[in-house]
Formats: sequence, structure tokens, C-alpha cells
Amino acid sequence: MGKKAMSVAAIERNGKFMLKSYGWITVGTAALTAVLHAFGFAFDPVNIALLYLFPVLFSAVYWGLAPAIYAAAAGVLAFDYFFVPPFLSFSVEDLRYLLSFGVYLAVAALTASLAARLRRQAQLAKEREAHTAALYTLSRQMTAINDIRVLLENIALRVSATVQAQIVIYLPGERAELERAAWSPGDNGFGEAESTMAIAKWVFEHGRMAGKDTGTLGEFPGLFVPLRTEERTYGVMTVRLEGEGLATDDRNLLEAFGGLAASAIARVKLSEEAKLAHLTAESERIRTALLDSVSHELRTPLATIIGSATGLIDGDGVFSAEDRQELLATIRDGALRMNLLVTNLLGMVKLESGMLALRREWCDAEDIIGVVLSQVKGFQQRRRMTVKMQDPAPYFPGDEVLLEQVLVNIVSNAIKYSPDGEEIVISARTSGSWVRIAVADNGIGINETDRERMFDKFYRGPGAGGTTGTGLGLAICKGIVEAHGGTITASPRAEKGTVVTIALPAGEPEMPQGWKQREEERDDNG
Amino acid sequence: MTTDNGARILVVDDEPQIIKLLKVTLKAHRFDVLEAATGEQGIYQASISHPDLIVLDLGLPDMSGMDVLKRIREWSRVPVIVLTAKEREADKIEALDGGADDYVTKPFGMGELVARIRVALRHAGNVQQEPVLRFGGLVIDLAQRFVELNGSRVKLTPTEYELLKILASNAGKVITQRQLLQQVWGGHHHESDSHYLRIYIGHLRKKLEEDPTRPKLIETEPGIGYRFLLQEQAE
Repeated sequence: MGKKAMSVAAIERNGKFMLKSYGWITVGTAALTAVLHAFGFAFDPVNIALLYLFPVLFSAVYWGLAPAIYAAAAGVLAFDYFFVPPFLSFSVEDLRYLLSFGVYLAVAALTASLAARLRRQAQLAKEREAHTAALYTLSRQMTAINDIRVLLENIALRVSATVQAQIVIYLPGERAELERAAWSPGDNGFGEAESTMAIAKWVFEHGRMAGKDTGTLGEFPGLFVPLRTEERTYGVMTVRLEGEGLATDDRNLLEAFGGLAASAIARVKLSEEAKLAHLTAESERIRTALLDSVSHELRTPLATIIGSATGLIDGDGVFSAEDRQELLATIRDGALRMNLLVTNLLGMVKLESGMLALRREWCDAEDIIGVVLSQVKGFQQRRRMTVKMQDPAPYFPGDEVLLEQVLVNIVSNAIKYSPDGEEIVISARTSGSWVRIAVADNGIGINETDRERMFDKFYRGPGAGGTTGTGLGLAICKGIVEAHGGTITASPRAEKGTVVTIALPAGEPEMPQGWKQREEERDDNG
Repeated sequence: MTTDNGARILVVDDEPQIIKLLKVTLKAHRFDVLEAATGEQGIYQASISHPDLIVLDLGLPDMSGMDVLKRIREWSRVPVIVLTAKEREADKIEALDGGADDYVTKPFGMGELVARIRVALRHAGNVQQEPVLRFGGLVIDLAQRFVELNGSRVKLTPTEYELLKILASNAGKVITQRQLLQQVWGGHHHESDSHYLRIYIGHLRKKLEEDPTRPKLIETEPGIGYRFLLQEQAE
């Protein structure tokens, strides 16, 4: 039975309530008799008998069949005693009255049972409504939950509240063995008992109900409901039933809950599988891109290194001093290029595996840019590097080694994609709570869609065609900048070319007041 | 630099290719090369053949290069240059603070390594310090405590002067942030004070460098410390 039905049954069993209803019927019948006795003889006895049907109907509607029958009996007795000659006696003069009594009793019984049935139906309808509401609430909650544990705990709590019994839900664990996945509070060993587990396992394997009042192990103090959809069983829900079993209604409700739970689990599992499939596809794509990129990027410099080196070894004496220098420079450049690739690959692996640990210290933008300029000096050719530094230079918390790597990557790109002899402008300034370092070039520029994607792994813009690169550099930059809580963006420059801007949180250096002053006061050097 | 010629260099590295490369190149630069493939061998060689300088790879098969360095430092002041992988800033700092004289990151250019070796040898041989240091237009008079740039005095605060003095007396050598903090502020510094250091270096650059974003005197070794550039390094 549902919660409400249970409580009504309990109340019906409550003697106090029963006595009260019988008391009210007695008082009511007595009062009616008194009124009728006062005016009584103005009415025809048949009408009086009909009036005695009122308490019967009233009792049937409010208290059920037994009080109604009591009301009918009380009515007949009162009618006979006060209104049927001889008056004030239970004996009957006119035997036709016995027929009247019979008819009265029959009518009373019939109406009482009809009214009682009506009342019961209304009550059932209310219960069904409550069940439907419970199912509806649960199903609505379940679509919102994506974590199986939370979902099952929710189900256990709600079902337990609805059927007023303890609930344990089992799911197959890692080694396909059933494990307690969720339970309503107060599980004192029932869910983990060997017998319970064994039955749960059977139910899981067979996908059929078992336990209390079912064909299988009908005497067990618990009911086992498989959580199943049409294709498969996902788990088992167990209701602990110490006393009597469940009403058919409640069993149906339980099965409905089971189905709901199963489809919710199925939904979560499917979405997990879909996510996994997506991830697999994505990693497959990245692996292919990585292989393509790495094999090309490794082979090209290797070819030049091996070619030049073997040329020098085999053709000793053939080459002029200049040729030799040229071949040696080719070897050096090829090796440097491979070094860059390996550094970037390792950087990417570090980022992706979460091994990238920031060593945050106060950084001086001027200092970092100085290091970057000396790093790119070797390959900037005749491009002019202009620095526009705010005075005093921005000072902010960050990992200077990684940020230097970021800027070297960005400036290298600017060099790579802009013609020789052009100007590259590096600027640094603080605006609000951000430090912005921007690298502007006069290069080929990037179209809008590429500006979004250029920071993706292995993405190489259509303009990148002839130039070398792995498509890793900017992805690493993005990873490092984001690890700092900053952003990296690319935008077109007014005339031509691109500006890549990194914005980093400025922080607040805790420079003690007076610290600097003290220093100036001690200034005694010539 | 002729004084360096004939200096005996012990190379401790387990990679035969690296040993071969160093042997050929260093010999070509007229150094005498000894080799050791393990840490134990390295320590043994260092004790019996008294090299003038040790090139020590930090990644050795039998024991960590750091331990080799510690063992050698127990009885010898011989200059040690460590070879490390790029990303290992912490290792570099540990080695430098643990007594290494300088470091070179693998893969390295030969020119860079030879330059580091020469600087380390020079500092090791130069026990007596000159009272006046000259670097192009920069003159630091350690006796009179003044600094001149292109003939005119430069006003420095005591801290700036101390910093410059330490960096310049170790010209060509890397000095870690910790070493600088310790030498300038003594025992009263915290790791977190390193940002004061940056501010002072910034001030020094502003007073001494033509273009502070393209320093020619004080170079930053990101994450490690600073290096006062010898004029040939600045080119």
C-alpha cells in the first residue's frame, strides 16, 4: 500500500477512532430519534424509516462499511422501539413492519456498501495520484543527474520514503560482481548479508523478481526487483520487508521505480560511452596528426643532416671551404630544428599529462623580453625588433621560464610569417588587473576562422603552406598562459599583419612601504 | 687565453657519443682530456689525476651527478661545469648552489661549452682580484668604491653596488639568485625576497645598459640567476 493507504489502515485499526465513530453514530441516531419523537407523529412511519437512512449514508461515506451497518442496526432498533406500535417496546404488532425492517436494512446495507466503495475508490485514486507524482518527481530528477551514485542514492531515498521500507540497490562492480551501490539510511547489515547478496545475484542473472510473495523464495523477508530495460539488467533493488508483504499496487509501483532507475542508469551509461567514443575518435585524430607532423618534421631535418654529413665524409676534398661551411651550417640548422620539435613535443606531453608545475615568482616584463630577444637573435635575420615598454616595466607573478618559452614561440611565429626587413613590435603594459604583452607583425595575416583555431593542437593555417612547423608551438603557449590564469588571443593589425596578445593576471607585489625609501637614504655611493 | 692551453679536463659522462665529441673538440682546443663513464670512476679519476676542471653530466647510471659533485666538493675546489637537460631548472640551481661553477644545457653548442670552460678556469686561477675591473666603457673601482660608465660617474645605491660587484667579479659565470641574496643581504633574506633582486637588477640595467631590454652587461638566466657578460659573450 502507498503511504496514505497505510496510514488510513493504521487509523482504522486505531480503536479510539473506531469508538469515536460508533459514539458519533449513537449520539446522532439518538438526536435524530429525539427530534423525530418530538414531531414524529406528523410524519408517516415510512418517511421516518427513510430519515433513519441519513446516519447510515453519512457513516458509510466517512467511516466505511462497518460503522454504516452499525448505524443501520441502531436506526432499525430506534424506529422499532419508538415509532412502531406498540411504542416503547421492541415487539412488533403489525407483522408487515418486519418486511419494512427488512427493506430498510437491505436499502441501508446496499447504499452503505456503495458509499463505502466510492470512498475506497476515491482513496485509491488519491494513492495512484501520489504514486504517479512520486514517479514523475523521480523521473524528472533523474534526467537532471549524471552521476550514477547520486542518482541511485536519490532513488533509494525516494523509494524508501514511498514504501516505508529499507531499500538497497546493487550494481555490478569492476569485476562484474554485484556490489552495494546505494541504500536508504539505517541499513543494519541486511544489504550485506550473504543470503541477500546471493538472491540479488540470482535476480540480476535472471532478470526476474524474487523474495517475499513471489514464486522464488517467497518466505524471504525482502523483495528483489531487477533494474532492467528491454535489453539488459543493470542492477537489483531490494526492499526489506519484516512483517507483511507489499500490496499489488506497491509492487507495481516498485517495478515502475525499477524500470525508471534502469533507464536512468542506461542513459548515464550511454552518455559515458558516447563521451568515451568521442574521446577515442579525438585521440585517434590527434595521434594521426601527431604522426604526420612528427614524421615530416623529423625526417626533413634528418635528411639534411644525414645528407650533409655523408657528403662531407665521402666527398672529402671535393668541397671548397665555403661549401663545407655551408653544409656544416645545414647540419646545425637541421639539428636545431629537431631540437625545437623535441622540446615542443615534450612540452605538450607535460601539459597534457598535468605534469606542468608552475614556479611562480615575480617576473619583470623587461627582463623576460630581454631574454626572448637574445634567444631569437640567431634567426631574426634583418627583421627589426621594437620594444614598447611601459615605464616602470610591468611586474607580475608568473613562471619566467615558461613565459619566456611562450614569448619565444610567438616571436618566432611573427618572424616566420613576416617578410625579412619588416618590423616586429613587442609591447608590454599593465591595464587594470591585467598585464598585456603583445607581439605585432607585418606579416601575411590570419583570417578570422584561423584566428580561433590557430591555438589548437596540430592546427596549421592555410597560409602556413611553405613554412615549417608542427602546429604545436601555439597550443603549448595557450596551455601555459591558461595555466597562469591568463588568455592568449590573436587579432588583425590595422594595416596588415597580426597581433598576438597574452593577458596575465597582474597580482599585487607585496612591496613594503618604506623599504625603498630606506634604501635611498643609505645612498652614499659616489 | 693561452694560459688555458694544456689544462687537464675530466669528462664524466656515460654517453660514448658525448665523450667522443668532447674529446675531439676539447683536444682540438688544446685541452688535455680524461674520461670517466660512471660516477664512481669520476670521483676516483678526480682524486688521482687532479684535473684542472671537471665536466660532469648530472644524469649518470650508477649515482646522481649531484652526489658526485658533493663527494668531490668534500675535498676539492676544482671547477665543475655540469651538463643538464633543458627543462631541469631545479637541478641546475641545486648543482650551482651545491658548488658547481657553471652549467651547460644539452644540447649545447661547442663554442658555448668552451667559453664556459675558459671562464671557469680563469676564475679558478685568479685568486688575487684586480682592484679595478674594466668591461668596455664600464669601470668598477673596487678599492675606491665607484663606478664609471664611458668616463662619467654612475650613482648607485649600496645594494646596487654590491650586486654589481659580485656579478662583475664573477664575470662570465652564472650566479644564482640565492647566491646573490646570500652575498648581498647575508643571512637575513627569504626565498621570497628574490623579487627585490629583480627590481635591483632592473635599476642597475637602467643605469648601466644602453637598452635595458637588450642587456649587454647583465644577462638573465631564466629561473636560475644572472650572468655578467664578458665582452666576447655580449657580441
